[in-house]
Amino acid sequence: MKPLGTQPPEMTTARQSTWRTLEEYAGDPEFLSRVQREYAVGAEWWLDEPSRRQFLKTMGASFALAGLTGCGIRQPEEKIVPYVETPENMVPGVSQFYATAMPHPGGAIGLLVQSHEGRPTKVEGNPDHPASLGATDVFAQASVLDLYDPHRSRVVQRNHRISDWPEFLAEMTPRLEIHRQQQGAGLSLLTGEILSPTLQSQLKQLLTTLPQARWYQFEPAASANASEAAALAFGDPLYPLYHLADADILFSIGNDFLSDGASHVRLEREYAGRRKVEADGQANLNRLYVAETTPTLTGSKADHWLRLPPAEVAAILVAVAQKLGVDTSGISGTNPESVSAQSAWIDAVAADLKAAGSRALVMVGPHQPTALHVLGYAINQSLGSIGKTISFHSPLGNIEGIEAGTITELVAEIDAGKVETLVILGGDPVFSAPADLDFANHLSPEKVPVAIHYGLHHDSTAARCEWHLPATHYLEEWSDTQSDDGTQSIIQPLIRPMYQGRSTHEILNILLGEATKTGYDSVRGYWQQKFGADDYVKWHSALHEGVLSTNKSPPRNVAFREASLKQLPPLSAASEKEEGDYTLIFRVDPCLYDGRFSTNGWLQELPQPFSKLTWGNAAWLSPATAAELGISTRDVVEITRGKTSVEIPVWVQPGMPDKVVTLSFGHGRQIPDVTPVGVNVNVLRQSTHPWQTTARVKPTGKRVVLPATQHHHNLHGRDLLRHGTIQEVRDNPHAPAFAQSHHHGGESHVDHDHDHDHDAGPGDKNSRVPGSDQPTFYPDMKEVGPQWGLTINLSACTGCNACVVACQSENNIPVVGPDQVSRGREMHWLRIDSYFVGDDQAPDVYHQPVMCMHCEHAPCEPVCPVGATTHSDQGLNEMTYNRCIGTRYCSNNCPYKVRRFNFLDYHTEEKLLPVLQLHENPNVSVRSRGVMEKCTYCVQRINSVRIRSKMEDREIRDGEVVTACQSACAAQAISFGNIADPNSAVSRDKEHPLNYGMLAELNTRPRTTYHAAVKNPNPALVSKKEHA
Amino acid sequence: MSESTPSPVPHELQGHPPSHTIAHAQTQHEIRSVTDKISSIVLKKGTHLGWFIGFGIGFALTLVLMLSVTWLLIKGIGIWGVNIPVAWGFAIVNFVWWIGIGHAGTLISAVLLLFRQEWRTSINRFAEAMTLFAVACAGIFPLIHLGRPQYFYWLFPYPSTMGVWPQFRSPLVWDCFAVSTYATVSLLFWYIGLIPDLATLRDRAHNWYARVIYGFLAMGWRGSSRHWKRYTDAYLLLAGLATPLVVSVHTIVSFDFAVAQVPGWHATIFPPYFVAGAIYSGFAMVLTIAIPLRYAYGLKSFLTDWHFDNMAKVMLASGLVVAYGYLVEHFIAFYSAHTYEEYMMTNRMFGPYAFFYWMLILCNVTIPQLLWFKKIRLNPYTLFIISIIINIGMWLERFVIVVTSLHRDFLPSSWDMYIPTFWDWSTYIGTIGLFVALLFVFIRVLPMISIFEMRELVHHEGGEE
Repeated sequence: MKPLGTQPPEMTTARQSTWRTLEEYAGDPEFLSRVQREYAVGAEWWLDEPSRRQFLKTMGASFALAGLTGCGIRQPEEKIVPYVETPENMVPGVSQFYATAMPHPGGAIGLLVQSHEGRPTKVEGNPDHPASLGATDVFAQASVLDLYDPHRSRVVQRNHRISDWPEFLAEMTPRLEIHRQQQGAGLSLLTGEILSPTLQSQLKQLLTTLPQARWYQFEPAASANASEAAALAFGDPLYPLYHLADADILFSIGNDFLSDGASHVRLEREYAGRRKVEADGQANLNRLYVAETTPTLTGSKADHWLRLPPAEVAAILVAVAQKLGVDTSGISGTNPESVSAQSAWIDAVAADLKAAGSRALVMVGPHQPTALHVLGYAINQSLGSIGKTISFHSPLGNIEGIEAGTITELVAEIDAGKVETLVILGGDPVFSAPADLDFANHLSPEKVPVAIHYGLHHDSTAARCEWHLPATHYLEEWSDTQSDDGTQSIIQPLIRPMYQGRSTHEILNILLGEATKTGYDSVRGYWQQKFGADDYVKWHSALHEGVLSTNKSPPRNVAFREASLKQLPPLSAASEKEEGDYTLIFRVDPCLYDGRFSTNGWLQELPQPFSKLTWGNAAWLSPATAAELGISTRDVVEITRGKTSVEIPVWVQPGMPDKVVTLSFGHGRQIPDVTPVGVNVNVLRQSTHPWQTTARVKPTGKRVVLPATQHHHNLHGRDLLRHGTIQEVRDNPHAPAFAQSHHHGGESHVDHDHDHDHDAGPGDKNSRVPGSDQPTFYPDMKEVGPQWGLTINLSACTGCNACVVACQSENNIPVVGPDQVSRGREMHWLRIDSYFVGDDQAPDVYHQPVMCMHCEHAPCEPVCPVGATTHSDQGLNEMTYNRCIGTRYCSNNCPYKVRRFNFLDYHTEEKLLPVLQLHENPNVSVRSRGVMEKCTYCVQRINSVRIRSKMEDREIRDGEVVTACQSACAAQAISFGNIADPNSAVSRDKEHPLNYGMLAELNTRPRTTYHAAVKNPNPALVSKKEHA
Repeated sequence: MSESTPSPVPHELQGHPPSHTIAHAQTQHEIRSVTDKISSIVLKKGTHLGWFIGFGIGFALTLVLMLSVTWLLIKGIGIWGVNIPVAWGFAIVNFVWWIGIGHAGTLISAVLLLFRQEWRTSINRFAEAMTLFAVACAGIFPLIHLGRPQYFYWLFPYPSTMGVWPQFRSPLVWDCFAVSTYATVSLLFWYIGLIPDLATLRDRAHNWYARVIYGFLAMGWRGSSRHWKRYTDAYLLLAGLATPLVVSVHTIVSFDFAVAQVPGWHATIFPPYFVAGAIYSGFAMVLTIAIPLRYAYGLKSFLTDWHFDNMAKVMLASGLVVAYGYLVEHFIAFYSAHTYEEYMMTNRMFGPYAFFYWMLILCNVTIPQLLWFKKIRLNPYTLFIISIIINIGMWLERFVIVVTSLHRDFLPSSWDMYIPTFWDWSTYIGTIGLFVALLFVFIRVLPMISIFEMRELVHHEGGEE
């Protein structure tokens, strides 16, 4: 057999100073072995003449492997504990759920992950986990796709060449030995926030044994302002947790608590729990006031919503504080005059807060200046809400006795030449670090002799480091983590590492000189020590439950120091100077977060809140500002700050304050072989004031295509999305006027319909299926067995998109890419429509999830020439994909436009990349080109419950079938069940006076209905508005 | 004009002063010269360069069609501009347009035959050919517009072993029957009409191949009186069969829209308005073809100004029915007091596709009013231009109906635009090429004017004299 690679490839690296001759190359055994490793094992067979025996052997092996279809053998070797059933009971075709947790900055979310024969396919929330309560968010839902990301880094790389762990260890062991002899001097670690107790203990061990080693932390989306303010106000850098269940009056200053931050799933649940209107009109609603700059989903749920430039937002808080008697003399730089137009608003907020007392809550956004946080704490203190609706806790990421430096300090240290070896544990700081640090150039070999990047992608940071080590995804590693309230969870893997990745624990073990110790040993060892005698039982239960119930960070007793109000830091950083007359606001991207999800197709194609933009970011401008610049949506502007310019398309967003530009970072991340999507705006961020700055904006005259999924946000007076106030409900609790149809058609049944509303009682079909009393030529559908129906409460829905990703994940919905989205061909079965009500300046925004209505008289059914869409006895409008020939007539005739068509072969990528097939749900057909598809009410879930109930010889229980959207919904806005059973939750919801059927006047008899959105405005402000 | 009176031609003649440009075809010909003139176009040796140029253009565009369809079959209909909500685009627009064009042929050959409008004789043969070719072009679209065209036959009630059947409530199934029946009857009608002329060509051909081929197609026609008896019976029966098709086909095509509940589609006026539109566009297309043909082959003695005048009058009349249809659509949108209907009309007039709507009104309603003037009707240049404008207008009408209704229907959140792609255009233009190429082949190999019917006319005239 000929050895491979007798030709000398470019073996010299930047660090190898001496040249060797070709002869030396050829004879050097080290070189030869290195070359051998460059090719896959067995590659050399193919260079020889294949013998018959060899050929048959290979063929046989290939067939055998093909039969294994990848993942049957990928279950982790260590004992992991399923949530419902034990592995011995594993039945092929029956999925299992395992409890684990997804780490995320600020706090992890507890999950139950569905596994099909060792293949994690779908993420659900863990009802026992306090940060999940059974629900999830977009990131958790989409994280399963990251596991199968074809762009993940698979092997160790050294200077862009394939290497392996033994080579890395061979290089690093002597190097680490030198560091060890110098007590760690020259060794630096850059990490994100570390919430894993095991990792914290490992790090502590490392930094205690090597006291000269340095640890730096950088989290691009995190802000220390809240804890800095706590340090001022309470003398301790604590972080706040909110408790909304008992909060009657909520006042948010730029705090997007419903969709951002580690607690948002829990807060969404608590918030929505206080927005329920009972069938008799009784309600104990909270009232939410929001003053913010960039419109957020939280703002859209507000009862009173102000969108103002940052200085005015600060002035609003100052004014409210003054009204409440809080000393604001320490605040400088706000102009009370600027908000004089809002005096009624300020009065109303102050009065409401005062009246609610300890049942009120002021929430200042994490990115707001520290001074405002102190002021917010002061108001909460004066209201007595501290300890009731807000509690303070010790930071979770701190390691006792060890101080973490910032990335700015790291850069200074590098400049001082003190960093010999830099280990970057996760993150992509070259992309995300503030521009003024010039982090990329600090990674050059001249400045840092050996830089090691550890991460999921060979990204722009990896490209600048000598070594790149592949990381494991959280679904393939042993670890542990903490949620926002300190609840600890064990992360158990659902699959063995797909590539050569190692977990962070294993990297730390290498640094600790225990390279052979596995991540499992580290995690298990840590908890063994913690659990002590009960170890086995506790470990087992921790894996089973997904939660370590005993460990929670207790609220700290705090005493507000009035003096802190006198020593407030300035609102804007001292170093900040005017760079232009536009205020730039940076926000964490609602879909890609800080960029870590930028290779995730589900999140890239997820319509961003309000704009419904996919695949990229745009600079949000107000309509007036855009008009002033003479530009409109899709025009490209140049944003200049200092010497840095960025060209970015504009999105004209109604409700944006004038002269403010909002940019979301996380887009435009460079990863080899991936076309960067969007614009990297991190280059405009400054380390001293990363959330807000000033800049110049000028049009460039260029125009680009922006792929958005919704182009019209005006209801045109149509009663598709009905909304009203709690006062209107109280005036007429049995039939609030706003929840009734306006009757576009002017048909004669109008009065008849109204009569009906009054005597609607239990068992009345018309109340459960709107319009079922209308005359029709068609016979009623045959109804056998449970009749499925769904209700969405628009008061609860925050438009957070979790259901959209859940649906995509559950139903194998393809990602179609920006070009297809811009042609109007996105495939989401479930979409969230946003409608703007009111003027361009400050519209109210309502969200309406829309999926197939499963009409009893479905307009799509009679027009299909081949009968591919038909009605089931259980009231489902079903698609028979095999029968569909793709006339698309059904979509034309669907008034809700919920049908989606495979215009092209959208599953090509999956076919080409087998790894992408692994995430598919085996219970849902993958649709071919030319076939129509749509929401099925998760018929595969209905069927699995039906089969189970039949085996147990019983009826399906209410609440037993949970659709993917329903289970993901943190606000519990969706109820699903059998409407033939008058006692089911969904039947009760459908008999609610707020229940209405969208376009029911078309005689479609929709099985999906809505509860009209109810707001709880302050009567004082409503009457003011009416007078104006 | 006395289109409905079954009076023989000479009476017609008496109605017009002889000095007038309107002259009868048959006045200038004897029976022999009719045969000579028409058959010589087919049988003469060598082909005119102009024919090669015309056919070459048509054939080149046909190749574009083939390329477009091939690419479509490889990639899927995503190469077009269709999307959700506008799931039907050019394919359906073109289908309805071509089917409509076909109608004039059937109307001329069948209905006018039954009404004994002998002036039809000069135009019926190529009008029927035009029908066939238009139906051929139309038939391509419903097939290739399917997401999975390989399963088109599922639309037919064939005895499937799976026991599945088409869904008969769907207008697309009705369409399938209507169009296939129409194509079959049109083909039969045209072919049977050709048999005596094929025999003439067989007898006159000098070339052995031509004799064999025409002889084969003439099916042993010898011109015996028994043949003639059978022939006239069959022809009349087929005319009777074809007549309801003139009304039924476009009525059913209109059901594709009227049965749906999309505002702008769901209207009871659609069947008569579509039939009128079909006749309108069909006559426009006959004129578009006849006028250049007359010049190219010197057929002024057969295709006289008087024929053009008659056709222009039919266009004017059917155009007014179409205009009435537009008016009723507006009225119903207003009278229904239905938000969605009202918005649909407003959007047609002032929405993003308003240009197309106003162009449609200009092409189909405003400009054709010039046909009230006899001067315009008798001037082949103006008539040719107007006929082309009407063809464009009728295409725009279908575009407006299909696209503007769909692009903004009930839920504003779903509203989107339909922008045709290169492949939309290439497929459309390709079918025009196919149509042109087929016409040129027809002109070259078959008598474009019915020889025997022309002879009959001359004979009648002679008999009267």
